[in-house]
Amino acid sequence: MRNPSLAIGVTIVAAIVIAAILGPMLFRADPLSIDLANTLAGPSRAHPFGCDALGRDVLARVLYGARLSLSISTVVVAISLVVGSLIGATAALSGGRIDNLVMRGVDIVLAFPGILLAIALAAILGPGLIDLAIALTAMGWTGYARIVRGEVLSLRERDYVLAAESLGASRSRLLMRHLIPGVVGPLAVQTTFGIGGIIGAEAALSFLGLGAPPPTPSWGNMLDAGRAFLLVAPHLTTAPGLAIGLSILGFNLLGDGIAQKAGHRA
Amino acid sequence: MLTVWISENTARLRLVAQISAALVALAGCAHYRTDRSPGTIQVDIETSPTSTDPRFATDATSSRINELIFDSLVKTDRNGQFVGHLADRIERPSPTEIVFHLKHGVRFSDGRELTARDVIFTYDSIRAPESMSAKRAGIEELKSIDAPDDYTVVMTTAHPYAPALELATEGIVPAGTSLPSKGTAAAPIGSGPFQMVGYARDEAARLERNPYSPYPSGAPRSILFKIVPDPTVRALELAEGVCDFSGNNIEYDVLPWLGSHRFLEVSRTPGTTYKYLSFNFRDPRLRDLRVRRAIAYAIDRNTIVNTILRGTGRVATGMLSPENWAYEGNVTTYFYDPTIARQLLDQAGYAAGSNGMRGLRFEYKTTPEGARLGEVFQAMLQRVGIALTIRTLDFATYYADIQAGSFDLTSLQWVGINDPNSYYMVFDSKKTPPHGQNRGYYSNPAMDRLVEAGMSTVDPAARKKIYGKVQQLAAGELPYVSLWWVDNVAVMNRRLVGFDAYPNGSFRSLATMTLSSPGGGGGEPSQ
Amino acid sequence: MESRRSDPVINYAVRRLIALVPVALGVATLTFATIHLVPGDPVVAMLGETAAPADIVGMRHQLGLDRPLLVQYAAYLGGLAVGDLGESISYRKPVSRLIAERFPATIELAAAGMLVAVLLAFPLGIIAGSNPGGAGDLGAMGFAIVGISIPHIYLGPLLMILFSLDLRWLPLTGRGGLEHLVLPAVTLGTALAAILARMLRQSLIRVRESDYMRTALGKGLSARAALVRHGLKNALTSVVTIIGLQMGALLSGTLITEIIFSWPGIGRLLISAIGARDYPVVEGCVLTFAMTYVIVNMAADFVYAIVDPRVRIS
Repeated sequence: MRNPSLAIGVTIVAAIVIAAILGPMLFRADPLSIDLANTLAGPSRAHPFGCDALGRDVLARVLYGARLSLSISTVVVAISLVVGSLIGATAALSGGRIDNLVMRGVDIVLAFPGILLAIALAAILGPGLIDLAIALTAMGWTGYARIVRGEVLSLRERDYVLAAESLGASRSRLLMRHLIPGVVGPLAVQTTFGIGGIIGAEAALSFLGLGAPPPTPSWGNMLDAGRAFLLVAPHLTTAPGLAIGLSILGFNLLGDGIAQKAGHRA
Repeated sequence: MLTVWISENTARLRLVAQISAALVALAGCAHYRTDRSPGTIQVDIETSPTSTDPRFATDATSSRINELIFDSLVKTDRNGQFVGHLADRIERPSPTEIVFHLKHGVRFSDGRELTARDVIFTYDSIRAPESMSAKRAGIEELKSIDAPDDYTVVMTTAHPYAPALELATEGIVPAGTSLPSKGTAAAPIGSGPFQMVGYARDEAARLERNPYSPYPSGAPRSILFKIVPDPTVRALELAEGVCDFSGNNIEYDVLPWLGSHRFLEVSRTPGTTYKYLSFNFRDPRLRDLRVRRAIAYAIDRNTIVNTILRGTGRVATGMLSPENWAYEGNVTTYFYDPTIARQLLDQAGYAAGSNGMRGLRFEYKTTPEGARLGEVFQAMLQRVGIALTIRTLDFATYYADIQAGSFDLTSLQWVGINDPNSYYMVFDSKKTPPHGQNRGYYSNPAMDRLVEAGMSTVDPAARKKIYGKVQQLAAGELPYVSLWWVDNVAVMNRRLVGFDAYPNGSFRSLATMTLSSPGGGGGEPSQ
Repeated sequence: MESRRSDPVINYAVRRLIALVPVALGVATLTFATIHLVPGDPVVAMLGETAAPADIVGMRHQLGLDRPLLVQYAAYLGGLAVGDLGESISYRKPVSRLIAERFPATIELAAAGMLVAVLLAFPLGIIAGSNPGGAGDLGAMGFAIVGISIPHIYLGPLLMILFSLDLRWLPLTGRGGLEHLVLPAVTLGTALAAILARMLRQSLIRVRESDYMRTALGKGLSARAALVRHGLKNALTSVVTIIGLQMGALLSGTLITEIIFSWPGIGRLLISAIGARDYPVVEGCVLTFAMTYVIVNMAADFVYAIVDPRVRIS
């Protein structure tokens, strides 16, 4: 197999997307309905992954959690991509002081390690999905800005661009024709890893109690709830944990695969 | 390739092997904890005591530890009756006076004899405004306290005060003990069975015997109260024989697993701890009795007790449990009935929309440990159309908010309810924070009249009638929704013999239990 | 020779230290902005809508939020300049003292995590790189990609279940002796180990196909020994670079690992301050994390500069 990462990655991601979309329709248990008679029940035929501390079906909650994770991460990454690219392109095109300012801004945002900025924002904004998305976007846009800025800067210097400009071609058309092909590869890789990263970040924030508020099922807050029952109900930890790990694995492999493919072409 | 690499690095590999072996040995050692000195027992508690001074501590953890260090004029026995402790004779010459005759020869742990002077000093310091003690409100009715001689204390109340003996439950410190705010790090000394010899906040408190207080042979010589916030670790320490005793802080779901260990005993006894749902009457929506009744009908308490509490409790009808002398069982009860709940909300004017929700939204504040119960309420209230959002705060912040009356709905418990005069402290309209514990700002003139009468009526039969009416009124008006009375659950290593359970969850028995032979620990559960 | 070398290094050091100031300023400003410029009234968000108006006014005054924004900003920066981070609302102690008490624990955990990462990465990377495409390579790299993908919030509890609850080899939570450090350090270091292992593998593969190999073979060394020796030497700079690049992930990972294992460091202080609405502490912890990251990055730059003279010139 020439690109196993790509193949396996695509398979896993596709499986997760299908599970998220179709799963709740095929497996009809309600992730929100409590059934106190079944608190902490282990896996059984009726409940393949068992029940949580309130008797809610864990598989159903994992499937709905998949919907949450995928939708939040794609939205966040999409916004980060657009916002970051615009900022990066603007900085590169404006040049000089504006470029410097923007890059200092990027440096400052990057001075906050990992999800720290997201944690601080989420803590201030309070619970809620929209606030969660805002917090996550704040930490993610810098990578895309750098990629686009780098590409635009290098494009400006290239001979054929200078030549085309002197012949009267409009800047925006030039950008479209030459920028996009150069930037698609790295952006695709960054986006894929980005989705995996945001899935992890959302789970971490929910785990800390700063993400999806109860009773919304999120893999992160399922793991948090499971901590109190490690001794008597480890299945509460296994199901969402494997789900997160598998999702991030899928996107990481996909990213690797795309990078490999893009690498081969370049 | 590997062989070459190994041969070139044997020295380094040997070092790595030695370190690994040491680590494994170290890890293995950690499993068998036999480093406790004989005669010491370890008790795991979940939070640090907030105060080692009995004049200031109000939380359960502090109170239970302080009970072992300080004596009071009276104590409650296993039936909740007051018996003299420091006092060996008590007289009531008039409805506003009580005379306590102190025992002779009771000594503080530094050898000084406890006399009436110490009692006066303790009460005076609680009552002094500058000490800012949270206990001051509780002994407000005490007009004066005097010592006609070294072994006699006379308490005088402003009005006839039925629960006067409750005033006599404060732990006594030696005269001259400074206030905690003055910066002295040392805990006050007491005359109780133990003295505190060391306290590291968030780590452990170490108690040793008061040399002047005799104890049965075989009883523990010292107690280590270890602060272990993680409930799983508390359970593990019991299972490994590291922890000898734990009272009311093990998760219900873990009890069966602990019970399956042959060397552990799980003791369950009916308790007086009362768990309730509290409303904020400053919110006009909650002032509507129909809304409160709807909430009462919407909560399936029976199922919660049987499932989440695993049967470790009884559905409650009111603040007083059936063991209480003033208990009245003939009150309005609310069986689980969402249909009635919905009708009540319709009547109250909150019509249900197409998704069943009624535009009624409340915020429920809780600690992380209480979040699970909060989600249960959230789900149950949602079924009748009320939206509950859950706000989780750490314990200190949560408790401060509740004490200030900053909440919509919350659930809490009253521990150690004894005299029904507690109704006055929680339901009288004048007893809002900081004057009392009416944190919901409940105001009902009928209730005021009843609880104030109950406080000043000394005749027990008449009092019982009054409090019967109070309980009926409380059940009808629902300033609280009564949830359940929590059983007292103690898990202990079987090497501790002779445990006596007290309805208020007291640790008193630790002083008189005896240690049998070294006992078990570190083994696997028997199933 | 030494005196000629130290000059450019000191120059570089000074330049980098000067560059630290605007970054520090920016970090402080962004932290301030995050906490003070968010729409909506933070005090109402803190106390809830049912709070008495007197409490809201009191809290606002307590936090100094009733002063004009610029005054607050100036006071904030002024305090930072002298190391005053304000006072904690819940502990009633200076924030700087709270942080100083817990900082060593965080450093201990982060360092242990790095150590575990290095200890795990080397055998994995060597196994993978010395026989690319072989079973060892597949196994080690499979292990690595799983290691990067499994989040701390799952790996931690998983290790707890296995090593603490089932096998009872190690304590569950808390800080204490060496045995308390094992599980948190492994949880923290696994992702970094995976990244380092992959890099080591790349290094070794590159060396295979390089001039070094030919020279070494010419000298008579066995192919394998030469490979390992030169590959590892080359890898050293890359290890430092990667650790520097991953320091952000390591620090935020430390934060999460502290929560999982009840480790008494700054991360745990931050999260409990959030729960207690103790915003001076939240600000102080965020600043501390950010500045630690910046300084560690600079330190990594230094090491790089010392090892590779070309860096100093730019």
